[in-house]
Amino acid sequence: MAISRIIRASVAALALVASTVTAFASDFLVSAEWAQKNLADPKVRFFEVSVDNGAYERGHIPGAVKLSWHTDLVDTQSRDIISREAFEKKLREAGVGDDTTIILYGDNNNWFAAWGAWVFETYGLGQRVKLLDGGRKLWETQGLPLDTNAADYADTVIKLPERDASVRARLIDVLSVVEGKNQAKLIDIRSPDEYEGKIFAPEGVKELSVRAGHIPGAINVPWGKIVREDGTFKPVDEIKALYAEKGIDGSLPIITYCRIGERSSHSWFALKKLLNYDVRNYDGSWTEYGNAVGVPVVNVAGTVWTGK
Amino acid sequence: MWPVFAVHMTSAKTYPERRNLLTGLAVAAILLGIAYLSSFMLEDRSLTLSLGLGLVTGFVFQRGRFCFYCNLADYLDKRETAGLLSIIIALASGAVLYVLIFSAWLPNPAWPNLPPTAHIGPVGPTLFLAAVVFGAGMALSRSCLSAHFYRLGEGAFSSLFAITGAGLGFIAGFRTWNGLYTWSVFDDPPLWLPHLAGYVPALALTGAALLALAFFIQRNARKTEASTRPAPSGLAALFTGRWPAAVTGILVGVISAASYLRIAPLGVTAEVGSLARMTGQSLGIVTDTLQGLDTLRGCISALRDTVFSRNGLFVLGLIGGSFSAALASGQFQPQRPTLRKALLNLSGGILLGWGAMTALGCTIGVLLSGIQAGAVSGWIFLAGSIAGVLILRRVQALFTILRP
Repeated sequence: MAISRIIRASVAALALVASTVTAFASDFLVSAEWAQKNLADPKVRFFEVSVDNGAYERGHIPGAVKLSWHTDLVDTQSRDIISREAFEKKLREAGVGDDTTIILYGDNNNWFAAWGAWVFETYGLGQRVKLLDGGRKLWETQGLPLDTNAADYADTVIKLPERDASVRARLIDVLSVVEGKNQAKLIDIRSPDEYEGKIFAPEGVKELSVRAGHIPGAINVPWGKIVREDGTFKPVDEIKALYAEKGIDGSLPIITYCRIGERSSHSWFALKKLLNYDVRNYDGSWTEYGNAVGVPVVNVAGTVWTGK
Repeated sequence: MWPVFAVHMTSAKTYPERRNLLTGLAVAAILLGIAYLSSFMLEDRSLTLSLGLGLVTGFVFQRGRFCFYCNLADYLDKRETAGLLSIIIALASGAVLYVLIFSAWLPNPAWPNLPPTAHIGPVGPTLFLAAVVFGAGMALSRSCLSAHFYRLGEGAFSSLFAITGAGLGFIAGFRTWNGLYTWSVFDDPPLWLPHLAGYVPALALTGAALLALAFFIQRNARKTEASTRPAPSGLAALFTGRWPAAVTGILVGVISAASYLRIAPLGVTAEVGSLARMTGQSLGIVTDTLQGLDTLRGCISALRDTVFSRNGLFVLGLIGGSFSAALASGQFQPQRPTLRKALLNLSGGILLGWGAMTALGCTIGVLLSGIQAGAVSGWIFLAGSIAGVLILRRVQALFTILRP
């Protein structure tokens, strides 16, 4: 009895070591297999950031804590990242300590989980935050276990530093690049139709801008280019080559943007965490820039806003 | 004894014939087979589950005659209480199961926390008005919306007029929505009983109210005599008369909770509303912006770009499940609607549609799913729709043309 238990424990330990060694080229991605083996580890905390209301409650990775994109990661009054006090409170309640590894995942191609990773980065937790590669969709496709109980952890006393502005671009930073005062590569990760100005925004979205097109100088690399069919990131070398083809090789600082700043977090994650480039995410994105008065815009298609 | 366990023979003229039984069961097997096969074709597994739940719901609704208006009318006209008791039992059993789910998903029900997607609607004058209009529509078309769907499976083709009318009513509802939203709905709070003192007291309150309701109707009940005919045995027993109130009620409670656990609260109007909204918008008679609608709790008529929706498959399943149950029990009786019946159903349907859109759901989505969830909106809808029924029956007493 005791011997078989020892054997089982050592096999599990070996498998764990093997998986951590061979699992991923990047320190910031984990596989579903790795996740399964570390579900019970008290030093690992999973967070689900999904858009679909009720997705978490109807089944989440066992032990995962819910982060609501509309209330837990943003300030609900002004358009801004969540305040330090509020985020600290959330993390304390989720039992995140000073040595907790944080794994994020979610629906919709991990877009909002990547947005979450960017928010964690602004609060100095970047080195401890990883994405579950393939997100919720891959976990479900593989038929892995889901739990419907809300997780409850003992409160911690984690203290967050002031927000780090170095991974965030503001309108003024973008404008200084457009006006040639600063050098950086702008990457527009929206669809080619949005980039060219044929459409103002994808069908059905509520957040709009009254001008179509893109920021002058921006290069169009739609977010989907860097993922495989199943939603996992392509190998790092491929991603590197793909950006290099577009003239983005990390020699200049990079600014990513999209429409509201969440899809671009996904590309930000790849460039910053997988390729280790100097990248900032412009969370104001096109809904800020395209609505700003008196800024230069490139509108190839020439679509005119008519209020309809 | 309360008639909760009694099999009601009154509505069945005959025992099901063997031929009917076999046809009905064969159809049920084929429909279940289609649902199973669909799991290989539909990427979203909740679509298959919706279809399956729809089949079971239609089957249970037909066998238990789970129809809000018919059961209320049976009570008002004949003082028969079994139907209303089945509804009360469904509310009670569902409320217990909902609390089990809620307490897992949202351990702390303190204000302003709300469980995700539960139908806890805004409580105010708009809701009450909508419920009254819905009640009038029920009395005029002699069914609520869910019952029109399951009766379609019994061959009541006149229900098609009521469903068409409901589509028109929805369009009317979309046109009046923005005004009502800024006038009242915006300020109407989503009152939820567990906010008062937690889940257990809320459940006790719901249980007490349901028990009081059951006592009230039972006090006015006509004494029913036990049937002298021998009860059928074996499989035939399932397809003779209608299921006892306790069986139907508990099954509906379980179905409702299962639906909430896995997909969304039970409801039948989202798909009708969605089709009406798309039609209205393409005709230019429904505005693109419906203020606040997509942020509220209920059978929201979201626009979609897929052929199959969860609610659409649920409703199709419901009609199919009812069809197989009606065949098996010899209650599939195709009827050619008279002009008078068609017009009454169409106009009643318009009232049902306007009421269901404005109340964000119907007797299933707001009343059943709401009361089970501890939402005050469910109780307001119950009161309003009964008031609507009583008012329209008064009017019918005055004008014969409105009588069926």
